[in-house]
Amino acid sequence: MRVALEFFPVLEEWPLLLTGIAWTLLLTAASTFFGLLLGTVCAYLRTQGPEWCRPFIVGYVELIRNTPFIVQLFFIFFALPAAGIRLSAEVASVLAMVINLGAYSADIVRAGIQATPRGQIEAALSLSLTHRQVFTRVVLPPALQRVWPALVSQIIIVMLGSAVCGQISTEELSYAANLIQSRNFRAFEAFIVATVLYLVLSVFVRHFFQWFGRRFVFGASRG
Amino acid sequence: MYLVRRVVEFSIWDILRNLLLAARWTIVLSLIAFVGGGLVGLGLLVVRTTQMRVLQRAVSIYVSLFQGTPLLMQLFLAYFGLALFGVETSAWTAAAIALTLYSSAFLCEIWHGCVQAIPKGQWEAAQSLALNFLEQLRFIVLPQAARIAVPPTVGFLVQVVKGTALASVIGFVELTKAGTMITNATFKPFVVFTCVGLLYFLICYPISAYARKLEGQLHVYSR
Amino acid sequence: MNRFLRLILSLVVLAVGLALSGCAGAQTALETIQKNRLIKIAIPVDFPPYGFVGTDLQPQGLDIDMANYIGAKLGVKVELVTVSSANRIAYLQTKKADLVISTLGKNAEREKVIDFTAAYSPYFQAIYGAKTLSIKSVDDLKGKTIAATRGALEDQELTKIAPSGTEIKRFEDNNATVSAFVSGQTQLLATGASVASNMIQRNPQLNAEYKLLLKDSPNFIGVAKGEESLRVRVNAIIAEAKKSGDLDKMAQKWLARGAGQLPD
Repeated sequence: MRVALEFFPVLEEWPLLLTGIAWTLLLTAASTFFGLLLGTVCAYLRTQGPEWCRPFIVGYVELIRNTPFIVQLFFIFFALPAAGIRLSAEVASVLAMVINLGAYSADIVRAGIQATPRGQIEAALSLSLTHRQVFTRVVLPPALQRVWPALVSQIIIVMLGSAVCGQISTEELSYAANLIQSRNFRAFEAFIVATVLYLVLSVFVRHFFQWFGRRFVFGASRG
Repeated sequence: MYLVRRVVEFSIWDILRNLLLAARWTIVLSLIAFVGGGLVGLGLLVVRTTQMRVLQRAVSIYVSLFQGTPLLMQLFLAYFGLALFGVETSAWTAAAIALTLYSSAFLCEIWHGCVQAIPKGQWEAAQSLALNFLEQLRFIVLPQAARIAVPPTVGFLVQVVKGTALASVIGFVELTKAGTMITNATFKPFVVFTCVGLLYFLICYPISAYARKLEGQLHVYSR
Repeated sequence: MNRFLRLILSLVVLAVGLALSGCAGAQTALETIQKNRLIKIAIPVDFPPYGFVGTDLQPQGLDIDMANYIGAKLGVKVELVTVSSANRIAYLQTKKADLVISTLGKNAEREKVIDFTAAYSPYFQAIYGAKTLSIKSVDDLKGKTIAATRGALEDQELTKIAPSGTEIKRFEDNNATVSAFVSGQTQLLATGASVASNMIQRNPQLNAEYKLLLKDSPNFIGVAKGEESLRVRVNAIIAEAKKSGDLDKMAQKWLARGAGQLPD
């Protein structure tokens, strides 16, 4: 046998793996919150905002959707300091993820908003609600509900994409796997373990956000 | 302290020239993964459409494995794992194999959705013409599914191009890797990464725009 | 959840399958090299002047010269394989390379998994930082951020000696490590002296200087564990090159100093 698989030397380093999982979840949580906020604001501006800001939103969304995440991350971490903006690896990671999720969710939320029946908005306006009230109370909750599965999928994609953040020394899960394999030279086993953990995380995060959406995002506003 | 004898000076033209040369490999790798992934994906689709429960399950597990783990981990596993099988892998083959499998999973999922969108009556009608399963699929269902499948498939090509950027991490010299190498030789991260991002945008944007146009046409016809 | 358990199960099956497969023929590496008339040598491209790229992105440097030298002495073609510090050991283990000539230092952890030939070039690692930063001893590292390349000797050395409260930022390859320091993401840089001198020359605005010696560790060539015939053959080439002055010439060309006393 050429190489026997030994998982013990990898699992032995469980504190590193645990830290990695914690960072991955933290990055995901932070970028989900700010990313969905950014995406919703962009979707609002794109559909109901002033005319002049629409090209900017479109430009932002297209720029992010048509370049790889790793390049966006490297740009923020390695190139921005040349322009005087210096961010720590962790902040740079979150910022890159927020900008990324913001662009994708802007498009998804916009689709949800545009599916709102005209009559509902007119009815709300006739109750003398302001435009902003109509958006936050009448349009947004059902729009989010319509597109929530797509948003959750996008959150998972962003979480899995965060594996790249290890490349700029953020100590998330893939970083832990890399560190472990550079110490005990069990590359394949370390990546197998990390991959299984990512799989567990994506199942967990999907269930969590499905529940979270029902409970807090569109469920509560009906009550 | 050692003296360094050779200091390499890069002009802007040197930077762009090298990035353009490296972009070739981004495009070649994308095409291999897209075409290979399409073929494997089509095979998986046929298996998934049959009535055999076990096979259907196997394919959907395959799909969720690739969709539930980071592409970066898949690349690492292909790179270090295939060698354990005794398969010689360069960064080239590992990247091509990992990206092909990754694409096949996503394309299979996209196309599966399209096949399911075909009304059951079409299958039944085909069956009543005494066509066997493969004939039903080949002559009746796939041509209809293909029409709605084209826009998301073209859209997925953008994901493949962006995915090739991760091959840089296992040492495959494509656009992103060339960017980090040149950054280290020039110490001009801002210029280099701006160029890298721009080149990706130039590759991806036309494809996204085309996918959107196709989708628009589809909606016009179906209304 | 049931479906999820099944996923895990299939992964385990996959892993077991992997463990059981992969029994290869008993040909030694040297025999394979001589049969194919080709040797695969892992070299760096992020480590001037040992291995770096010119404007044509072709690798050059002391390690590349050494690789070609060994190929010529063996009378076989050389295929250069680009590696980073973090993955070069894995390259030997998975037979992606026959030799690793990539500023590889020798230590006990590594000797457990690969074999080493005699040393072929001098090397030392140190910590660098801005002149304004006062670093007199290891204790002064406390509270500072230091960039290091994951899995490189300076990472292992630093991890050992750094007082708690030192923030070591680890990067995948030397490109990223140096970029992180140059763009000000860390206060200090732990790397090879040659890399640092290049970086300092090119970035006078950083006002960086040598702070602390981490380790004086000459470079060795890595061979997969148990490939004794190849190791002996390469050792003979190194011994000959030492006697003929070829090693000195190479060191003079790239490092502007002789090879000095190198351990066997």
